[in-house]
Amino acid sequence: MIILLPILLPLLAALPLGLLGSPRQGAIANAGLTALVFGLTLLVFWAPGAGLVRADRLGLIFGALTGFVGLTTALANIAYVRGAAPRLSVRRWRVYHAMCQVVLGSVLLGLYADNIGLLWAALEGATIAATLGVSLPRTPSALEAGWKYFILGGVGIGLALFGTMLVYLAAQPALGPGFGAMSFSALSAHAAHMDGTLLTLAFVFILFGYGTKAALVPLHGWLPDAYAEGPVPLTTMLSGLILNVALIAILRFRHLLQANFTAGGGAMAPGPFLLTLGLASILLTAFSLTRRRDARRFFGFSSIEQSGITAVAFGVGGAWAIFGGLLHMVLQTLIKSALFQGLIRAAELRGSTAPGHYGFSHLRGLFHANKYVAWGLGGCMFALTGLPPSGLFVSEFIIVSQTIQRAPWASLPLGLGLMLCAIAILRQFGPLLFGPAPPRTKPGATPMVTHLVALHLAIMVAIAFFMPPVVAHMLLGLTGRLQ
Amino acid sequence: MNLTFSLAHLMGGIILLCAFSMLSQRRLAAMITLYQMQALLLSAAAFWQGYAQGEVSLYLTGLITLGIKGLALPFALRQIVLRFNMIRAVETAMPLILSMILGLALIGIAVLVVLPIAPGAISLTREDLAMSLSVVLLGLLVMIVRRSALAQIIGFLCTENGLVLAAIGMPGMPFVAEFSVALLVLLAFLVVGVFLFRIREHFDTLDLTGIEEIERRGR
Repeated sequence: MIILLPILLPLLAALPLGLLGSPRQGAIANAGLTALVFGLTLLVFWAPGAGLVRADRLGLIFGALTGFVGLTTALANIAYVRGAAPRLSVRRWRVYHAMCQVVLGSVLLGLYADNIGLLWAALEGATIAATLGVSLPRTPSALEAGWKYFILGGVGIGLALFGTMLVYLAAQPALGPGFGAMSFSALSAHAAHMDGTLLTLAFVFILFGYGTKAALVPLHGWLPDAYAEGPVPLTTMLSGLILNVALIAILRFRHLLQANFTAGGGAMAPGPFLLTLGLASILLTAFSLTRRRDARRFFGFSSIEQSGITAVAFGVGGAWAIFGGLLHMVLQTLIKSALFQGLIRAAELRGSTAPGHYGFSHLRGLFHANKYVAWGLGGCMFALTGLPPSGLFVSEFIIVSQTIQRAPWASLPLGLGLMLCAIAILRQFGPLLFGPAPPRTKPGATPMVTHLVALHLAIMVAIAFFMPPVVAHMLLGLTGRLQ
Repeated sequence: MNLTFSLAHLMGGIILLCAFSMLSQRRLAAMITLYQMQALLLSAAAFWQGYAQGEVSLYLTGLITLGIKGLALPFALRQIVLRFNMIRAVETAMPLILSMILGLALIGIAVLVVLPIAPGAISLTREDLAMSLSVVLLGLLVMIVRRSALAQIIGFLCTENGLVLAAIGMPGMPFVAEFSVALLVLLAFLVVGVFLFRIREHFDTLDLTGIEEIERRGR
């Protein structure tokens, strides 16, 4: 069973990582393990498993993405730990590296599981690990962020479990008791015969439960705080992957509801629910981005916007819109992880990577410190706006054009929100890169990480503009079945 | 209505009553006692369902509930209360009467939401569903109206009792689900225990109105 390896390896490795080694050894072991996991996620393409853990194409693609982002994060993490080692005790660094592995393993389990119960358990495990990670610095604000994350995450996870049980109950007329009624593949094959009323109720619970994990407004409160307080690699890059799992879970349940609705099974259409939450997320971000002064919090809000765009795409429905939504998730994951790698370097050039050193006023004038870091970070920020050479242009173009076609009333707020967000990001762009540097700024050396950032951006552009027809065909086939 | 239904409903009803009286309790010690009663009843309900459905796995669920939630967690909670010297602590966040009215409204919503489900092959679970959904929502309400971190945790645990109540009522729900819930709740509780000590260390209180560091600093 090759598919169990990329899941079990990180989960089991967490134990020795949590008990042994210095911070430096931990970081290196973490990187080695993650490289192995990345290799395994590629190997899984040829052995997608069976039974409870069986990856479909969606899981395989996002599994490989998770492995790749995990690997580059772990590589950047080595340099991060070298600089930040004195800030935490050796024991806390061990916990930190163990939690990195737990999050990675749980995310992969959530992507590969063909069982709604297992998916739930994976997300809960990832949440607990991430909560612990956020509170690691043990400063008052980190504790506050961790507590908020725990309470909101706990509420979400409770609602999601209730929804999961309702889906099981709704499947009883079609599939009968037992594991069959919890398997995604069996559920989607029999979606037309499920109890439509129960399924609608279940979807509402699941949307709000997993929507908390995906940080859709009004359940987003934990995300900016969590992004701003914990150790950057764990709380921003790896936690970004949890958002993907939650969004994919919503997409899968949405498919059940849509299939039941189309077949006349009595369920409500999922579109309006998703469109409302998605548009609310985009518009709220559009108006709150301009007021952020801390870069990590700023980009945390930008993650809420990206979740919102994906939710809108799933709400619009149809093969092309879902294709656009999935493409958007892939591209934005690549950009965000590169961006935070660049941000760590930028903060390091200014002296410290501790929370509180990421204010825009503190980081401004990056060109005077190091032009390569400045170009890397600037490139990522520009890519986030969705203006042309960025890959997000392609995905947002698909989503907006599909919205105009299929849900015209939503296109105006969507366009307005996207534009306001882009303007808010561009407003920070100039001062951050070219503004006057704070006094006593010394030029710093070029770190290796800038290559990783460039690699991420290159892959992002390549996927968006030069996608091989075979891959595009495969993805469209997948979304055709998911519409 | 035979004995299976009436007894299951009776136990579900008392579990709901426990959740509701949590809202009316000011003192932490009383909330913990109510939580313990709720967990003991839940394990009894699991045993009864196991007997009625003839499922061995439900007996296991009952045993786990009894061990972890009926005995271990209340013991740990009482230890924390003793350790932090909060035996006489009275904490009010919202007028009790208001929170109880809100609780009643939530129970009404739960019933209304479950009502449209066609009574058919799953009639046993329809009432069960209404009760467990009410317990879940009341647990969430406890988390909202309390200011003490410990009381919020009791609300979280109450929510989770509601989820298990729903799970044991469903015919043939695989045991893995309930087992993983129990395990994860235990893990979550351990994490939260650490949290409580840190919060106490930094703020000298478990009253969460004090910890608004991020608000104060301005975002």
